[in-house]
Amino acid sequence: MRRSYGSRATRSGVEFDLFGSGSGATPIVAPATPGSSPETAIQVASLTETARAVIEGSFAPLWVRGEVSDFKRHRNGHWYFCLRDASAQVRCVVWSRNQRGIPASPDEGMEVTAFGQLTVYSARGEMHLNVTALDAIGDGLWRKAMEETRLRLDREGLLAPERKRALPSAPTRVGMVTSPDGAALRDVISVIRRRAPHVSLVVSAATVQGPGAPAEIVAAIQRICRFGEIDVLIVGRGGGAREDLWAFNSEAVARAIAESTVPVISGVGHEIDVTIADLIADHRAATPSAAAEAAVPMRSDLLAALRDMSDELCASLAERASRARSDLESGAMALRRAASIDAERRRAAISATAGRLNALSPLATLARGYAVARDPVHKTTLASVADFKPGAPFTLTLRDGDVAARVADKP
Amino acid sequence: MSYEKRVERLQEIVADLEGDGLPLDRALKLFEEGIEILRLASDELTSAEGRVQLLIESAEGVFETREIDV
Repeated sequence: MRRSYGSRATRSGVEFDLFGSGSGATPIVAPATPGSSPETAIQVASLTETARAVIEGSFAPLWVRGEVSDFKRHRNGHWYFCLRDASAQVRCVVWSRNQRGIPASPDEGMEVTAFGQLTVYSARGEMHLNVTALDAIGDGLWRKAMEETRLRLDREGLLAPERKRALPSAPTRVGMVTSPDGAALRDVISVIRRRAPHVSLVVSAATVQGPGAPAEIVAAIQRICRFGEIDVLIVGRGGGAREDLWAFNSEAVARAIAESTVPVISGVGHEIDVTIADLIADHRAATPSAAAEAAVPMRSDLLAALRDMSDELCASLAERASRARSDLESGAMALRRAASIDAERRRAAISATAGRLNALSPLATLARGYAVARDPVHKTTLASVADFKPGAPFTLTLRDGDVAARVADKP
Repeated sequence: MSYEKRVERLQEIVADLEGDGLPLDRALKLFEEGIEILRLASDELTSAEGRVQLLIESAEGVFETREIDV
C-alpha cells in the first residue's frame, strides 16, 4: 500500500481529501462539507468516483492469491471472474489488451495469483481488481496453454510419429535458427568442429525470447528453408527461465517447424525443458549440444564406412572377375568336348559313305572282265550304238587301264 | 552430387557387381565409377573445412552468406 486510506470517519462527519493533496495534520472541515447533510447530499457518481480515486490512490498494483470462480469470457474478449477464499471474494476483470502476457485463461476452481490494480467500477458501484498478470500455482496456466496448443496440433495429426522424418546420415551443411550471440550457437559450433570439421553451419538469426520472438523464429525458419542449401535444421536456444523458453511453445513456431523443407532437430534449454517445438520436431534433442551431436556423425565413423565400402567394391569386382574366368574355362572345355564329338561323327559318316561308294563303283564290274567305252574328250559313257559315229575315236576302259580305240569306218 | 547420394550410388554399384548377369565390360565400368565416387566422397570428408556463416536475405529475396566469427 502506498499510503493509508484517504478518508476517515470523524465525530463530526466524513472528511474528504479528494485529491490527496491535503495535510492530515490540519484537516479542513468546511461548513458545507458535501454529504454532511440532506441539503448537501452528493451525486452517486461523485461518491463512486471518489471511492475509485481513494482506492486507486491507496493501493499500488499488487499480487492477490485466491481461487477462481464464476469465470466468464465476454464476447468482447474480456475475462470476468471472482477471486475468493473461505471468507471473502473480490471481483476481477482482465481486459483483452492485458491478456497477451497470460498464457491461458484460468479454469474454474484453479488456485491462482493475480496481479492488478484495485479499483471501483462506477457504473455498478463495485470494487474490482483490474488484473494485468495471472498465473496458476505451480505453473498451471503455462501447462494449460501448452496442453491446449499440443491438443490442437495433435488433432491435425502434426505430432504423429509417422510424420517424423529421418535425419540425413551424413549432412555436409547444417542450418540453425537461433540468436547469433547466444550460448546455443557457440555450443553447436564446438560440437560440429569436434565431431565433423568438414561440416558447414548456416545461421538464420532470430531473437529467441520476448514478445517478438515467435514471429522472428518463424521468419528465420522460413528464410533458411527458402535458401534451401542445408541438409538438416537445428532450432533452439540455451537454458533460461520458463518465460524465456516460451517462444518455443508458440503454435506459429510449431507450424513453421512442421512445414520445414528439411528435417528439424529441436534443442531448447536443458534436459528437463520440454517444449511444443520438441514435440513437433523430427528429432528432439535435450540441449543445443545434443542437437548438434544428433545432426552430425563423427567424421572418423564416416571415413571407416567409406573404407568398408571400398573393400566391398574391390571384393565384388574380384568376385565378378573370378566368375568370368571360371565361365571362360568351362566354356573352353565344353567347346573342346563338342569339337571332338563332332570329329568322331564326321569320321564315321565318311567311312559309311565310302562303303556305299565302293558298292556302287563300276570298277568292281570292270574287275570281272567288262569294259566301258567313253568319249575321249567329254568322258561321257558311250552306252548305245547311236553313241558311236563311224571313224570316231573313243576310249575303252578296262580293269587295269585305258585303251585308245576307233569305230570302224563301215559297219 | 551430395555426399549421401554418392554413398547411395556406391551401394547400388556394389549390389550390381554382386548380382548375376552383368557383362564383364559393364562391371569394369561400374567399378571405375565406384572408385571415382569413393575418391570424391573421401575428399569431401578430409579436405573440406567447415565454415560458419550468417544467412542474410535482401528485400528482393536475394540470399547472401557472411562468414561469422564466434
